[in-house]
Amino acid sequence: MADRRRINGPVGTTNPPIYDDAPEKQSEGVKVARSRPANVIRRMYLKTGVTPSASGSAYLEIESSGNGGSGLKLSCSVHGPRALPRSTPFSPHIILSTHVKFAPFATKQRRGYIRDPIERDLGTHLETALRGSIIADRWPKSGVDIIISIVEGEQDRETSKAQGIEAWDTMNALSGCITVASAALADAGIDCVDTVAGGVAALVQDAGDDAAPSIVVDPIPSEHEKVLAACCIAYLPTRQEVTNLWFKGDLPASDMDVYTQLIEKGIQASKSANRVLVDCLNETVG
Amino acid sequence: MASSQHVLLSPAELAYLHASLSLTPPIRPDGRSPTQFRPLVAETGILPGTNGSARICFADGTEAIVGVKAEVERTRTRHDFPSLDESAEDDDDLDDNQNDVVKGDNDWVEMTVEIPGYRDDDAGTVFLSAMLSEALLADGEFTKRLWINQRFHWKLYLDILLISPPLSYPLPLLSLTTHLALLAARLPRLKSEGDEDPLFDDDWAAAPYLYPRPSEKGSKATAPAPAARPPVTLLVMAVGNNIIFDPSKEELAVADVALAVSVGESSSSTTSTTSSKPTAMDIDTEETKGHNLRLLSVRTIDPPSRLTPPGIPNASNSAYGANAGAKDTEKKKQQQEQARTAESEAVEGVWKAPRGGAKTLVMATMVQKVLEKGGVADEVLDALDGVDLN
Amino acid sequence: MPLDTSAYSLALLRVDGRRWNELRRIHAQIRTQAAADGSSYLEMGHTKVMCVVNGPSEPGPRRGATSGGGSGGGQSKNAEVAVNIVIAGFSSVDRKRRGRGDKHILELQSTISQALAASLHTHLFPHSTINISLHVLSQDGSLLAALINAATLACVDAGIPMTDYVAACTAGSTSTYAANDEGADPLLDMNHQEEQELPGLTVATLGDSDRVAVLVCESRVQVSRLEGMLAVGVDGCKQVREILDRVVREKGIKMIQEGTVERGVGLNDMELD
Repeated sequence: MADRRRINGPVGTTNPPIYDDAPEKQSEGVKVARSRPANVIRRMYLKTGVTPSASGSAYLEIESSGNGGSGLKLSCSVHGPRALPRSTPFSPHIILSTHVKFAPFATKQRRGYIRDPIERDLGTHLETALRGSIIADRWPKSGVDIIISIVEGEQDRETSKAQGIEAWDTMNALSGCITVASAALADAGIDCVDTVAGGVAALVQDAGDDAAPSIVVDPIPSEHEKVLAACCIAYLPTRQEVTNLWFKGDLPASDMDVYTQLIEKGIQASKSANRVLVDCLNETVG
Repeated sequence: MASSQHVLLSPAELAYLHASLSLTPPIRPDGRSPTQFRPLVAETGILPGTNGSARICFADGTEAIVGVKAEVERTRTRHDFPSLDESAEDDDDLDDNQNDVVKGDNDWVEMTVEIPGYRDDDAGTVFLSAMLSEALLADGEFTKRLWINQRFHWKLYLDILLISPPLSYPLPLLSLTTHLALLAARLPRLKSEGDEDPLFDDDWAAAPYLYPRPSEKGSKATAPAPAARPPVTLLVMAVGNNIIFDPSKEELAVADVALAVSVGESSSSTTSTTSSKPTAMDIDTEETKGHNLRLLSVRTIDPPSRLTPPGIPNASNSAYGANAGAKDTEKKKQQQEQARTAESEAVEGVWKAPRGGAKTLVMATMVQKVLEKGGVADEVLDALDGVDLN
Repeated sequence: MPLDTSAYSLALLRVDGRRWNELRRIHAQIRTQAAADGSSYLEMGHTKVMCVVNGPSEPGPRRGATSGGGSGGGQSKNAEVAVNIVIAGFSSVDRKRRGRGDKHILELQSTISQALAASLHTHLFPHSTINISLHVLSQDGSLLAALINAATLACVDAGIPMTDYVAACTAGSTSTYAANDEGADPLLDMNHQEEQELPGLTVATLGDSDRVAVLVCESRVQVSRLEGMLAVGVDGCKQVREILDRVVREKGIKMIQEGTVERGVGLNDMELD
């Protein structure tokens, strides 16, 4: 059913215009390959306290890839802790509610105002990641709302859906969500055992047929020929614990070493993101 | 929903359960061994109106029915650059034409999960269906089975119904039922050729299975090539260093960490193309002639233990004289300090909801236990082999 | 597909080979599920439904998409009968997905809820809820009747006191409204094909009596034909009641023989063979 309270765009989908030079570039095979070393994440910009009306907020921006795509831009606001409504039954812990929403213009395909399954799924992952870091029993009978809007999703103009790239993009978005939400929680002054940050690592097949698959952190799917597997990890560095793990891909069971390496790289990516997070928080305090 | 549903256990009960599950070997409330599954009753082909159906009933009374229905749908032609993915697709032996690559689209599979008492856009329901479809679509091979010709494809609808109220986290049940339904699913035999409008054989007996069976006549001597199988998602939890499979609701309520691990099985031919060590893989399959397992997805499940009420140690319980005689403010303050430390430190035998995450080593071991040769995934797939598919 | 009504007048046989007053095969089972308080499985021809009853219990903290009907909420003097119907996507020939807010389903829910609330002794369970959850696995006409019968059986299995069986079935007429055929015969137990073409009604009666508990007629039909249809329907309900009763008795005997339950007082006259 159409949402009548808002002015919606036209019904039906249209493809954005594609300019002539893009396909030529494709056909020549000049696809911008990854220029960063395999274990370095992209630069990111993080700032807390961007929304004055919220009790805590943060904004995260990750630089775009070389392929003329868009970077990731996230804004997170935390409301609470506040008392639960009267009708809610007693809870000995703080009740987290996470809400992840892509802006309608965030991706190539327009998103509606009603949350779609991917967004709900992201919300569940985020909740799992954060619940491990929050000291929940300090706030009985209260709730906190964490609202993330993805202002600009990471997507390249020339990516083709047939490669299943959307799924890998979701992982990058999740890792950004975890980092930004953690910063916003810290800004709101909610007690956590540690700052949690997200990191992504992927097993990729680069262009060139006989190249062995390699593991890279913070992958951009369009920079690689094929992504075989990826994982997103939320990691607490001081406790050396993982609060959320999401692995997806296709790995033979005999290759457990690859899996272990992938997880390690994911943790490494998460640690790098955590340094940015801690620096940002120190800056705010100091 | 689901994983964080109400657990009606007192802190004392939780502490007792946690303690007994942390022993080596762990003692489970129903006396199972750590890797043992609950007994179940399974049947397939229960609904003649569907392309494939299955029903599984666990011993605790939870029951699920899955129906698979396929409809022919016209493939939407994309105005993308067709040159992009042609090289990436491994060409299929069915076609001699260069352009006729068999390729699938994730939109061709639609999965709905119905859990009584929960809305279908509830976060937990969405999480369950995302997890199940993620595993199914992970290798990209499944949707290729739905390809008819360049203009048409099968649209597969998977309807997963939980009949009973969700007594325990329904993930393993739903996954096993889906697995069986997909194994039992058949699509009508195609009579038309090439890209003309598809015409199908009316004879249901001639309809091929969606997942072709290994040839029956090949006994163990000939070692039939392991056929591809739909994925199975297993629920694993850890208490301390103990790893426990197929947890019941009560056991899940004291879990330190819970993982859903999806495992698939592919035919050996497709393995070598993506495997990093093709030669090693081939040797492995020949040696074991067992299951050619593949890890498809791992997800952390938010354990409900984080929402359980904590117990109060005697030191801070006023009924045991914690605040007795605390008249002067000095002493009160001191006691508040104590309460603070008591809050952060675990007291032996007093339940406290776990904080933080899980050690990476524990998580790695959990996945390892599923995947190792002769591990739980092997056992489960062997057991599912025993289900009669009619 | 248009129904060949002329064929009926020749051989007096319907599309599936039945006579006008014949029921389809009814197969039912009770206590199909261990976890629930009461459960049943019922087939009427190719219509297959499952029912799970939980309660009477305290109303839970959340009240999902159930339609409270019959008698008030959880705070009233009577138990609330909450019915929840899930129509599986694969149940019909063409897959059709109905959302939870579907008006047709809501109406079915409230009809069943009110019918059962009148038959169950809800006044014995104040401040509580009886949750009836119905799953439609396959549809071939007479859906409401099958749902009512399954719910009745599950309530019997749950041991909820009730006045009598609520047995339901459908009745129709051999020619369409437009045909305006005076000599139209009534039909018993319509299948999907007949339901599409011909006028029909669903009737449920209370036990052996002729008292009608539910009467739903959603098609145009001449008033003169209604009485005949109703008479045939009520007669069908009695047959259905016999079948349901037999199912319950057989299960009871089996349970006594297996020693699941003790032989109660007053059961001495029952034949246990």
